[in-house]
Formats: sequence, C-alpha cells, structure tokens
Amino acid sequence: MFSKSHLLRRKILDKAMWALATFSLVCIVAPLAWLVWGVVGRALPHWNWSLLTTKPGGANGGGLSTLIVGTLVITAGVAVVAGIIGIGSGLYLSELCPEGKGKILRTASEVLSGVPAIVLGFLGYTVLVVEFKWGFSLGAALVVLSIMVVPYIAKATEVAILQVPTAFREAAEGLGMTRWQTLRRAVLKPAAPGIVTGLIIALAIAMGETAPLLYTAGASNNFPTSHITHSPVGFLTYAVWTDYNQPLAGSAELSATAAVLLLVIVLMLILLSRLVIRVSKKYSINNSHGGR
Amino acid sequence: MTQSLASDITTGPNQGDFDYSQKRIDDASSQLQVPLKTIDLSVGFSHSTILNEISLSFPKGTITALVGPTGCGKSTFLRTLNRMNDHVRGFWHKGSVVLDDVNIYDKSVDPLVLRRNVGMVFQRPNPFPMSIKDNVVSGVKAHKLAKRKDLLAIAESQLKEVGLYDAIADRMDDSPFRLSGGQQQLLCLARALAVGPEVLLLDEPTASLDPVSTSSVESLISALVPKLTIVIVTHNLAQARRIAQHAAFFFNGELVEHGLAAQVLEDPEHETTAQFVTGRMG
Amino acid sequence: MQATWVFDGRSSTTVSAPGDVLAPSRIDERDSGNGVGQFARNDRPMSILKKVFPKGDTLLVWFCKFLSYLPLLALLGIVGELFFQALPSIKVSGFGFFTTSDWKPGSSYANPISTSGVMHPPGAHFGIVPLIVGTISTSLIAIVIAVPVSIGAAIIIVEKLPAKLSGFLGLSLEVLAGVPSVVFGLWGVLVLGPFLSHHITPFISKHAPNVPVLNIFKGPTGAGEGLLTSGLVLSLMIIPIIASTCRELFRQVPVTAREGARALGMTDYEVVRKVDIPWVSSGIIGASVLGLGRALGETMAVAMISGSVTGTFPANIYSTMSTIAATIVSQLDSALTDSTNFFVSSLAEAGLVLLAMSLMANLFARFLVKRVSGTALPVGRGV
Repeated sequence: MFSKSHLLRRKILDKAMWALATFSLVCIVAPLAWLVWGVVGRALPHWNWSLLTTKPGGANGGGLSTLIVGTLVITAGVAVVAGIIGIGSGLYLSELCPEGKGKILRTASEVLSGVPAIVLGFLGYTVLVVEFKWGFSLGAALVVLSIMVVPYIAKATEVAILQVPTAFREAAEGLGMTRWQTLRRAVLKPAAPGIVTGLIIALAIAMGETAPLLYTAGASNNFPTSHITHSPVGFLTYAVWTDYNQPLAGSAELSATAAVLLLVIVLMLILLSRLVIRVSKKYSINNSHGGR
Repeated sequence: MTQSLASDITTGPNQGDFDYSQKRIDDASSQLQVPLKTIDLSVGFSHSTILNEISLSFPKGTITALVGPTGCGKSTFLRTLNRMNDHVRGFWHKGSVVLDDVNIYDKSVDPLVLRRNVGMVFQRPNPFPMSIKDNVVSGVKAHKLAKRKDLLAIAESQLKEVGLYDAIADRMDDSPFRLSGGQQQLLCLARALAVGPEVLLLDEPTASLDPVSTSSVESLISALVPKLTIVIVTHNLAQARRIAQHAAFFFNGELVEHGLAAQVLEDPEHETTAQFVTGRMG
Repeated sequence: MQATWVFDGRSSTTVSAPGDVLAPSRIDERDSGNGVGQFARNDRPMSILKKVFPKGDTLLVWFCKFLSYLPLLALLGIVGELFFQALPSIKVSGFGFFTTSDWKPGSSYANPISTSGVMHPPGAHFGIVPLIVGTISTSLIAIVIAVPVSIGAAIIIVEKLPAKLSGFLGLSLEVLAGVPSVVFGLWGVLVLGPFLSHHITPFISKHAPNVPVLNIFKGPTGAGEGLLTSGLVLSLMIIPIIASTCRELFRQVPVTAREGARALGMTDYEVVRKVDIPWVSSGIIGASVLGLGRALGETMAVAMISGSVTGTFPANIYSTMSTIAATIVSQLDSALTDSTNFFVSSLAEAGLVLLAMSLMANLFARFLVKRVSGTALPVGRGV
C-alpha cells in the first residue's frame, strides 16, 4: 500500500497549499497597496497646502477646509455621545448587572451593529430631519452615527473589563473600598487602554462613514455653526462621493484629495490605538515576565 | 486475527518491504539488539543548551523509562527522537540519533516517514475533531496504508487491541470528546499503533489520568512489548518500577546513569540518582 | 500589623496578574496613602458593609443601566419605525413587491390616485426582485472570494509567519478595515473597474466556455461598472472581518492536537485540514456569515461601482445592476419629490427587506459561533 509516489504527492500538495496561502496574503496586501497608490496618485499631482485652508466652492472647486472641520466636529461629537453611552453600557453589562441578566441587552447591542448603515441614514432622515423637524443638522448626524458605533465601544469596554483579573477586584474589596472605588481603581484603570483603543477604532469607523450622514448632516460649504439643529454640516466623505464624477475643473482632484486625507486620518488613528496598547504594556509589571 | 490485520499494515524495516532510506545498512544482529540509540547527542534552542552529549541505547522489545526532576531535559530528549522539535524556532542538535543504523537527522530521512515508524503519545489526550473511527485510522489514511474499505476493520481491531472496543462498539461515529480522559488516551494510543510503528515514545502518558485509567494504560503498555520498543518519560517512579525493564536518569541536561530499571531505580550507583529515587530531591 | 496586611494585599495582586493588563501597583500605593488605614480597622466582616452602597453608587448603576438599554430601544425603534413607514407600500404593492421587477416611481406631475386607501402617483410600481438578485449576487461573489483568502491568510499568519511579519499583516488588515467605504468606491470606479474592463474581462469573456453556469462570463464586458467589480471590492471590504476572526479562532486550536497529528507523520497541510479547520469549522462559518451580512448592507462603494441600474436583471457577470442599499442611497433624493410619499414608503419597505436579511445573517452567525467557541464574533468591522 505504502508508496513513494503517494508520499511525493502529499508533499507536493503540502507545498502547493502553503503557496496558495501565501498567495492569499498577496491578495490582501496587493489590493490595499494598489488602492492607496491609486488614490494618492490622483491627489498628489494637484496637491497644494492651500487646499487645507480654502473653503470649498468657487470656480476651481476650492479647498476642503470647512469639510475637514466638519468631519472633526462630527467625530468629536460622536466621541462624547457614543463614548458615554458605549462605555456606560459596556460597564453595566460586564460589571454591574446581575449575573446572567445582560444577555438580551448584549445580544441587542451586537445585533444593532449588524443594521446596515443606509437603514440608519434613511430613518435618520425620515424621523429626525423631517418628523422631528431638526433639519439637516449636527444633532441628527450624531444620533445616527452614535447608534452605529455604540455597540462597538460597548463591546470593547466589556472585553477590556472582563480581562481584568478577579484578583484585582478581590484585593480592592478586601481593602474595604466601596463598589464605586473598586470599580474606578481596580477595574476601570487597568481596563482603560482597552477601552480607549476601542473608542479610537470606533471613531475611525465613524469618521469614514457616508451613508448615514448624507441625509442627516446634509451638505454645506460653510464652517459648522454652534447650532445643534437646523444647520447642515459638511464632511470629507461627502466630497469624495459627490465630486468624483463632476465635470467641473478640479472636482475629481478634490475628491481624491479628500480620500487621501481620510486615509491619513484613519491610519493615524489606528497607529494611535496601537501606541496606546504599546505604552500601556510598557509600564505594566507583567512586562517583566517577558513576551506573549 | 488482530495480530494478522495489524501486521498487514505494519511495514517496519523488519518486514523489509519499505526502505525508508537508501543509506540503511542491513546489519541484522545490531538492529535486533538496539533499534534506536543516540550518540553524543547535544540539543538546544538558540543560545541555550538543553541536553549535553547523551549516548543512550534502547534495547529492542523493551520498555525504557526516562526519569529525572522537572526541567532536566527528558521531554526534549524524547521529542528529539522523532524530530518533533524540528518545528521549534532556534532548535539545534549535534551528534546523532540512530534508528536501524541510519541517522534520523540525515538529509535522506523524511520526517514524515520517520514519525510513522516512531510513534508518539502525549501527556494529555489529544483526539482530533472527527469521529472515533476516523481518529483511529487518521494516520493510516494520511499515509494511505490501507484500502478505504478496510478502514473500519482496522479501526475495530486497533480498538480491540487497546481494550476500548467493548466500551464504544456502538459509538464509532460519535465525537471522541465525550469519552473519559482515560478512554481518550487509549484512543490516542490506538491511533498511534494503527500506523504500525516500530518504536513508541510516551511523554508522561498517564500524567492527566485518574488511578483506574492509569492502570489500564499501564497494562496496555506492558502488553505492547516485545512487539514494540517503548520509551516512556514519567514523573512517577512507582510507574517506572512497575512497567520498565530499563531506566535512564537525567539531571540538568546530563545523562547521569542508565541500565536495568531494577538497578537504576532501586540501587543506583550515583549519589544524585540515589537522592532522586529515594525522594530526597525533586 | 496593618502595614503587613496592606503588603499582603499588594503582593497577592502582583502575583496573580496575567498578561495584558496595566500595572495595578499604583492603586495599592495610593490606597496605602489615604483610605486603607480606616478601612483596615473594620477588618473582616467587609462583605456585609459591601452591600450597603453610598447613594452615588446607586445613581451610577442606574445611569449605566439606562445607557445599556439604549441599544435595545434603538433596535426596536428601528424595526418598528421602518415597518410603520413601509406600511403604505405594503398595502399597495402586496406580494407584487416580491414577485415583480419594475421600479417605476410613476408620474409626479399627474394627480395622485388612491389604491387600498393609499395615495400614490399614477404609474408607480415597485418590484424588488432585481434588487434582491443584485444584493445577493454581489454578496455571493464577495463571499466566494473572501472566505478562502481569509482562511488561507489566517492560517499562514498563525502557523508560519514570524512575529514581525504577522504584526505587519495584522496592521494591513486593520487598515483595510478602516478604509472608508467611499474610498473603496472611488478606487473601484476610477482604478479597478477601468483596469478590469481594459485588460482582464474582454479576455475572460472571449475564452469562457459557452456552457451553463460558466456562460455568465460571456457577453459584453461594459466599462467596468457592474456586478463583478462590485463583488470584488466588496470581497476586499469583508476580508478583514473574516480573516481577523479566523486568526483568533486558529489561535485557539490546542497545540497538543496539532502535535498529535504531526507525530503521526502528517504534513503541515494535513494537520491544518484534519485538525485546525475542523476544530473551528463552525466559527469559520459564523465569521463568513457575518461577512455576508456586512456585504449585503454595504452601501456607498456599491452605489459608486454598480452602475445603479434598477428594474433589470444582470445579463452576465459584467452587467450594471444595483443593490437594495445602493438604490436607497441614490434614490432617496428623488423620492423626496413625490408629494404622496409613496416612493419613500417603497424605499422603506426595501430597507425593511435589507434589514431582515442582514439581521438574520448576523443572528445566525453569532448563534453558530457562540455554540462552539470561546471567541465571540467581532462587533463592527473586525478591527
């Protein structure tokens, strides 16, 4: 039964399958590089620092200044609104709720993350903008985007807290701390890097969204105002979506430039999240145990 | 019946129908005596040295127990005997491991074929995520040692050999993870035996088992000689005394003493060995 | 005496801390500075005291409880409101919505007419079949490509690559997950689509055999906007979620099982096929279904790449088409001009169908994974 040719066949199959696996890595990295190169290649020849400081509109398309500010304002708003809700609910689900009680809430939160962004955008428009008469506004955009990313922040918070060893809690309770003191010092503090990382990634996602914003934030070439309602806000992804096939001079370039800015911001946020993890590990006593 | 089926698929060098290396020297007398030995074997990972110039022979058809305190290198030694360390990063070796007069670290030796001839069973039972029957014949299938239609018969005969068949005859297609720990370990033994190895390496096979399972695994191991040559790493000196004919004592990566089990474990020559076997160390 | 007790507390904390957690040592140091002395006097019967919280504690708990009900409320509100808005469309279109393929808003200049008590423009007729076909076919293309690529990448990252390289690939996956949908769309419509239609698809179309199933590759190849390009871009978008989940799953496969297979003389590939993949198979299926759910609902990229053609079935794999999500985003604008609001209601019903498909995929995926594995599926995009 045993034959050398069979052994050879097995070895060739082994090599072939690992070659395929290596190829699948190429299938991930190459398109990513192609995408970055394709977008940057379209933006770079027309790059001009004044794009960052000029308002959109005008004869040659103008710049992106108000859109950048708009995106930052929306993201900051999401950080506050979704941050509070997400961290609070993650805290409740992992630490405060009675044993075995949070199952439905947790599932609801996870399922909410599966709701398509456009459904949220659609309802944001019909309910908040029209029915509640908020108009295109920062408020409507914040509600919709927060619904999108709260599940993510809640999950990250929950996971980070669950990774804190029970011994920390026991030690703190053993020291006679109240529940809130225990929470703050022996649970939230060690879990903080995980929570912050989750928040940063959630913001990166929120920043890149378009579908939920088109019909809630509206469109504007002006800087955001201090009004929460009845004042449309411009944002970067809007420029990518609207300008790429406009016949106007400079539009396509503006679209590509906005895309590059988005890529840069997202990359910076991802690197920031990694930095948080690295720094928090560096000062951890566990580091002395070596790797892993 | 069991024996004949097993020998059908047993193609060790004694049957002579498969040469796992062109370099094999046909020396009947030496392979009858000592199928497996190490010569000046040093082993380490990256900059550290785990084992230092070990020369040890494993007489054919006997059980050799490797004993020593935790971290003395006996498990690393065992894994070196069927090249399981090849995958570990930074692994290096000097000297040679000779199986039937061939250095198993020679280029002409294929680790896949080697591991078929030198089987291994681990500390914890490690069934595969497939049916009990498929578990037993998984090696047979991978090496294509039998026809598809014979697989069930092989699985049954192997399970009979390890004494597990009666308990699970009607559960051949069930998951192995529902079996008890002892049953799982017997299944892993059946799986290792199914490919017809010449040498069987056992790395603390009863360390995670209860006393009853331990005794059934032990009696199975005793029944496998003299058909197989067995090397067993154990922390349990009583176990070594019960089943082993030969013993070797490792300490800090050195082979301190080896010989007949009765002598090494009861009346050792070296002071360190004496300290260990009388329980004054480790 | 008290000092010793505090010291004990600290050392036990230190010893029992496993990886990945910020140092707790400062906690103890600070406590030994302020509160500990007075609490330590209470000594052991702490467990009774622990149950009596100051008022602030309870307020915090209630606030967090309230916050954690918000996602559930939002979910119920979304489903309820969408259904409510879809009601006029459900009344008028009935089953026809799921059996016909016209997508006509009707004439907004003529006087509205009434059917089943619902006002709508004359000539308005909405059938969602082509959109469902478009949604499912783009997602299927995406899944067919993304699943093998993700499994292959995950296994090689876990099994073969040195730490540095797998760290780099982890970063690549994260960046891929973070690339905004519109940027994928921009690349798809400006770079990938034209490239395919100039260099690849004419060749495939010319040489594809004219037999059933494979003949979808024959015929006119268009300008690069359509089914194939959308599916390819979608696959790239869902690879991070599937690959990173698979990576975590493969890391859970016990080394002992893999070593057992290796000790039997199996090749590395055989070890993967016999041990790793079966060990986490339902987790892999769950991750794939989660990816499918994401592909079904993806909006902006598809809206930019699909060609946004409603009301017809794709003739071959290069045809322009549209999906439910892309149709909603590109037609909500014009739907607002319908004074009877019937168009918006039809879009709401389309959204309801999309929501049902996504949520079923999502729930099924989580059910599969939770049943068998300690890894929960990621929430969000798999970063």
